[in-house]
Amino acid sequence: MTTTLSSSSVTPPKSRIDWSQYRDQVLPPIIGVIGFLVIWQILASSGIIRLPGPLDVWNDERSRYLILNPFYYNSPLDQGLFRQTMASLQRVAIGYCSAGLVGIALGIAVGSSLWLNRALDPLFQFLRMVAPLAWVPIALAALQQNEPAALFVIFITSIWPVLINTAVGVRQIPEDYINVARVLKLSRIDFFFKVLLPSALPYIFTGLRIGIGLAWLAIIAAEIVMSGVPGIGFFIWDAYQQNYVTEIIVAVVYIGSVGLILDRLMALLQNKIARR
Amino acid sequence: MSTLLRVNQVEKTFPLPGGKTYVALKDIDLEIRTGEFIALIGHSGCGKSTLLSMVAGLTLPTGGVVILDGKTITAPGPDRMVVFQNYSLLPWLTVRQNIALAVDTVCKDYPKEQRQQIIESHLDLVGLRAAADKPPAQLSGGMKQRVAIARALALRPQVLLLDEPFGALDALTRGNLQEQLMKICQDHQITAVMVTHDVDEAVLLSDRVVMLTNGPEASIGGILSIDIPRPRQRLEVVNHPSYYSFRSEIIYFLNQQKRLKKLRGRQVHVVARHGLEKINLEIGFVPLTACAPLMVAKEKGFFAKHGLEEVSLVRESNWRGICDGIRNGSLDAAQMPAGMPMWMSLGGGETQPIPIVTALTLTRNGNGITLAKRFYEQGIHTLADLRRYLLDAPSEQHTFGVVHPSSMHSLLLQYWLAAGGINPQQDVSLKGIPPAQMVANLQAGSIDGYCVGEPWNFRAAMEGIGYTIATDLEIWPGHPGKVLGVREDWANAYPNTHIALVKALLEACRYCGDPDHHEEIRHLLAQRAYLSTSVDYIHLGDPNQLACELAMPMREYAHHQFFAGAGNRPSRTEHLWIMTQMARWGEVPFPRNWVEIVERVCRVGVFSTAARELGIDISYERAPIQLFDGSSFHGQDPFAYLQSLTVKHDVYVAEVVLPSRVAMS
Repeated sequence: MTTTLSSSSVTPPKSRIDWSQYRDQVLPPIIGVIGFLVIWQILASSGIIRLPGPLDVWNDERSRYLILNPFYYNSPLDQGLFRQTMASLQRVAIGYCSAGLVGIALGIAVGSSLWLNRALDPLFQFLRMVAPLAWVPIALAALQQNEPAALFVIFITSIWPVLINTAVGVRQIPEDYINVARVLKLSRIDFFFKVLLPSALPYIFTGLRIGIGLAWLAIIAAEIVMSGVPGIGFFIWDAYQQNYVTEIIVAVVYIGSVGLILDRLMALLQNKIARR
Repeated sequence: MSTLLRVNQVEKTFPLPGGKTYVALKDIDLEIRTGEFIALIGHSGCGKSTLLSMVAGLTLPTGGVVILDGKTITAPGPDRMVVFQNYSLLPWLTVRQNIALAVDTVCKDYPKEQRQQIIESHLDLVGLRAAADKPPAQLSGGMKQRVAIARALALRPQVLLLDEPFGALDALTRGNLQEQLMKICQDHQITAVMVTHDVDEAVLLSDRVVMLTNGPEASIGGILSIDIPRPRQRLEVVNHPSYYSFRSEIIYFLNQQKRLKKLRGRQVHVVARHGLEKINLEIGFVPLTACAPLMVAKEKGFFAKHGLEEVSLVRESNWRGICDGIRNGSLDAAQMPAGMPMWMSLGGGETQPIPIVTALTLTRNGNGITLAKRFYEQGIHTLADLRRYLLDAPSEQHTFGVVHPSSMHSLLLQYWLAAGGINPQQDVSLKGIPPAQMVANLQAGSIDGYCVGEPWNFRAAMEGIGYTIATDLEIWPGHPGKVLGVREDWANAYPNTHIALVKALLEACRYCGDPDHHEEIRHLLAQRAYLSTSVDYIHLGDPNQLACELAMPMREYAHHQFFAGAGNRPSRTEHLWIMTQMARWGEVPFPRNWVEIVERVCRVGVFSTAARELGIDISYERAPIQLFDGSSFHGQDPFAYLQSLTVKHDVYVAEVVLPSRVAMS
């Protein structure tokens, strides 16, 4: 007995260390997710909420088909959820990228010029407060067509955090960096690319990261209202019209996952590029 | 060396809310030569960094100009590279890229290889080759600052500007970097201006230390030339004989600035009570056995007894602090060396004459001349021995410490030396050192002897460092030691307070003179607030016992005489003798109007009133001063007396014009 004890204390089994690392990192989220599903199932089966439980989603013919066949294609409005999501993502990509470009450019302009800032800041602060859904009718009225209107809503929703953060980043360049540039007599172009932009980069990325979240929120809202365009938003709306609640739940899982992935991608990019 | 940088009448103001302006710097004039290292030192907020950034061109002066190499500075430029306290490295660039950005921008005309070579050689210069490809975030503070220095030096600036470059570093790193910077500056003959608040750093690195006064309207309060030879080593420079005097000079300046600021901030209000014009007094003293009367008047309640209820004693470490305190009004009155009222009134030390009056002699005697022990071991037991020794080896320079040019120690020592045939200005040199630092200086070997009040002679003897070769009893028994001094305008504004002050101190002197109180006074004096020393060093005793028994030379003690009735009276003859001696050594001119001056300095009337009210017998007989060399001084004809002295400096006679006497109220 004594020998066993002493030997085990000298060389503890290796697998035990690995497990202890995973135990703290992996186990809690798994327990959390399972717990959530279980509670949801209990609430659904007991009839407290009138929503299908997780088992119902799996057992239902239509939703199981959707889960198992994400890539099928019948018509523009009847295709697998992966395809639907990609259609939405494409829109987000276009709207968000233009919002990013315009936002950074405007942000730098506003950040470097006190006059411009005084002129435009009240306007920005006002427009920023308008919810994505409120932009939909305006966009439709102004542009008359669903597709450009959807892009506009994404653009107008996601531009503000980019713009405002960029402006703050430019305004908050440490005095020291500016002094260094002044002492070295850096040209305006050199100053822009070698000091201003790198210095503001962390702020810009914070803005971009908030922006991508907002863009993804906005696309769902925009598509729900704009009928006849393929996309995950319209899919939900369509399913709701036909009372396929299990389908909605599957789509919601897609939306959540995509949002999460987008955010993580931005975070990764931020770490790569704008790390200090 | 030619002047490279000239700061000419520079002024900087900042607008304040409400249309007012804040004058940060005013009338700054400074010339910096090529290859010089200048430190700007001052309290925070004094505008030293502002001055630096005006040289850099980052801010422009609101008045005056800064001229570099003949061109007025209007904008920042790479010829004046700045090393900022917080490094100012661009965090997204590596160490090499940071230096490269500067080199590529400024030296764009150079071929690529040459730029590359500059970058690499400066990486080596600061020893950062191993870290060249790391971003600044991965470096320690000291390494970052080295990058910043390399970046600055790579551009070969005409002036290197350093804004508290090592302020944020730990002591060890700071020391290493100081040495590196010093070496680089030395090797490349770099002209540098550095802002610092570290006194040791300033002394170590600089050729000159520019001391700035406190704002608003900060200006240059003094420039100290540090003539310690280069190359300097951080650990060795402290052994240079002048190091501590440079250091204490700067610290004295900074402390004085701090005190002035406090004084300026404090509401100066005069509290009048009990028929006295002012009962809140600040009285300066220097920690010596001779401060006993002031200490006793405070501790035993004599001040309060005479209505001076709010007296605080201000401890100064040297006589210069007393001088400045009286001059700028932060002190109402002070214990002074007997010669100081005359010295200040005659404009000693090339200052503006300011009439000082004395109405009380606080102590007599109590001084001695101490020599380092090695002189005793070489058989020097008398003045004649010392003369022989000094004149036999004329190449050796011997230095004696005195506390202040106006103190009796200085006058007695010089008189003593001169009477022995030693010219105190040619055969030896005199150096001003605060009393409490005499023993340490003697031990360190930076002086060979000194003349100072007790307990510092006795202490050197007890510690086996030196020996008392003569006490003042052997030179002029009964000479005045310390007196009470106030400004003449103060005395005229507060005549009743002045009398009350003299009464309180005279009573305290009587208390000190009673042998029954000596034990108590010794213990009181040893306290932290006063001498802060061991009670064993403090002795009070019979002031008339002739000392200096050479058979047992290490146990002499020059006792003070605190009370002698008429002996506490300010004597015109004595102050006249002091005047002749200070003129004899060229310290002050001999005033043609000496009668007026002596009359104004000695306020005998105040003393007589005070003594009469205390019922003290002050009858005396006028007698000439008898000195040890057999001469006597009766004060009838000081010019003839000065003529009769053989060893002396060139005496010059001038009319000393004092501010006109304000009518006594």
